[in-house]
Amino acid sequence: MSSETKFVTAGIVDDDKIFTYGFRKLTGIKGLFNEILDFSNGQEAINYLTDPINSQHLPDVLFVDINMPIMDGWEFNDAFGEIKSQLPKPIKLYNISSSIDLEDINRAKKNPLVADYLLKPLDESYLTEIFHNLQHPGDQLKYN
Amino acid sequence: MSFTDGHTFSGESLSHIAHLIDNKDIGIWEYNTDTKQVKWSAGFYAVLGYTRGEIECSYSYFFDHLLYYQDKQTFVKTTYSPRHGGPRTAHIRLLTNNNGYQWFESTTHRRDTSEGVVMYGILININAIKIAQVKTAESELQALEIGRIAKIGIWEVDSRSMELKFSPEVYDIFELNNHIKLSVPEAIEFFMPAYRPMIEEAVNQALTLCKPYDIEVEFRTAKNNIIWVKCKAVPVLDEYGRCETVRGTFQDIDNVKRRGLSLQSSINLLDDQNKRLQNFAYIVSHNLRSHAGNLKFMVELFEESQLAEDRTEIFQHIKTISGSLSATMGHLDEIVKIQAEISKGTKLVEFEKIFANVESALQTNISATEAEINTNFSQAPVINYVPAYLESILQNFLTNAIKYRHPDRQPIINITTYKDGNNIYLIFEDNGLGIDLQRHGEQLFGMYKTFHQNSDSKGIGLFMTRNQVEALGGNIAVESTVNVGTKFTIKLV
Repeated sequence: MSSETKFVTAGIVDDDKIFTYGFRKLTGIKGLFNEILDFSNGQEAINYLTDPINSQHLPDVLFVDINMPIMDGWEFNDAFGEIKSQLPKPIKLYNISSSIDLEDINRAKKNPLVADYLLKPLDESYLTEIFHNLQHPGDQLKYN
Repeated sequence: MSFTDGHTFSGESLSHIAHLIDNKDIGIWEYNTDTKQVKWSAGFYAVLGYTRGEIECSYSYFFDHLLYYQDKQTFVKTTYSPRHGGPRTAHIRLLTNNNGYQWFESTTHRRDTSEGVVMYGILININAIKIAQVKTAESELQALEIGRIAKIGIWEVDSRSMELKFSPEVYDIFELNNHIKLSVPEAIEFFMPAYRPMIEEAVNQALTLCKPYDIEVEFRTAKNNIIWVKCKAVPVLDEYGRCETVRGTFQDIDNVKRRGLSLQSSINLLDDQNKRLQNFAYIVSHNLRSHAGNLKFMVELFEESQLAEDRTEIFQHIKTISGSLSATMGHLDEIVKIQAEISKGTKLVEFEKIFANVESALQTNISATEAEINTNFSQAPVINYVPAYLESILQNFLTNAIKYRHPDRQPIINITTYKDGNNIYLIFEDNGLGIDLQRHGEQLFGMYKTFHQNSDSKGIGLFMTRNQVEALGGNIAVESTVNVGTKFTIKLV
């Protein structure tokens, strides 16, 4: 195991205030992620990511809900694909949703930009695994 | 010229000829009407399968025992004096020794001699030919019957002369009782204008490229009935592979086609309803799942939290979720009610009156936003509709127009009705935010789809409205420009 421990920032993109609150609370209690940013829709998140002011303060991982007003998760995925190469650091992208529709699941899983599709409510142990992989990038191989 | 005119046969030759005839299955007879004397040749016995002496050689025996009773009249007519001009030849059935009744061609001649009137005749067995004829006639009749029953006609076009021939059944379908001959362009004129280019091209391609065709088109008969017909053709090639004739069938398929078309529209309707139901089930499942998921999430957090203030906060969220769950269930009830309201039936309602109710219910919102509302229901003041729906539809569109007003200007909402034939339309026009139809057009009427960051957007209104409108057979069209406004055209009936 690598001795290096990274500071990990997670971003949550979801219009569901209760879910966002729960996410903050749970990760706080479990000591997952060092910092949480939240955005209530895709457009807000894209605006944040592309604003040069924030270039030193970008998340390491994004959890993006599918059903949102203004810019939904699908539209965010496309917009993210366009700006990805201009970002100063790699950001892992997860889609999250309550939808168990296979069409939605496959659409997300087929997208090479999307690391995985997580069903709500989120599985705590999977979140822990995601966090540890980001905290110790050297151990990535162990999990892949 | 008679056979014997130019030649004289010696007695010797005559017996040869008689011998020849006797061996050729030809029977010869002679009857003297005065003396009643009858003579039958050896061939006569032979063609009937008897031997001389086996049967009584008499006119009465022939008439009573050999000649089939139904053919007696026919035979007698051939024995009349030539003065009557009757036929010389008849087809009659005679009882043979071994094969029952068989068909014979009987030719009778009459000669007045010094010994009285002598009749003589020839019998030839034509049973095989006759049977074949009967069979052909039967199968022709069957073919005609099949064509008539199945309403299938047969036609052909000669590629050189372009002569067009129809079977009687084709004329029946054309409803041309006089069976006049038509040219190809004349026949094409009977097809409905929309299909003429298609049929012209099909005929030309069959003639020039030997391409068969099978098409279903609309057709106007001579009696002005519009029917669906099936027109099928195959080219008949000559030895060089060129099209000699185009031959085909012509069939009245009106009943089947109309049933098929109405079936197709039922399928489309069912398909639409099915899609809506599926979408509905998906949304309900998604929303219930997300509330249930959040509830589970909060309950777990509640258990894990140690701090009293955290617990209070989490409990507040649990209450919110409980409220959301109830609201979702309420939306479900409303959707179920759409069908229930329909069963209560439609009534003649006035737009003016219903709109007044809606306006007073929304008065607070209207005054708060200083919205200018112009109505003109004069083109179609009344409609036969489910009253609860009309109220709900007007309320939803008015609520939306106010909710999605443009922040920089006073909302102006124009509501009009008009009539087009039997249809009544309702128009809602606003100068609000507008919707990017390119992006959201598909989802506009979906449940819980919201496009504006507006805290009171629930995404249920347009979904409900569309269901109500469509449940009564109408539809909604939308035109919109972002930052300019939106126009909904609702076909109510």
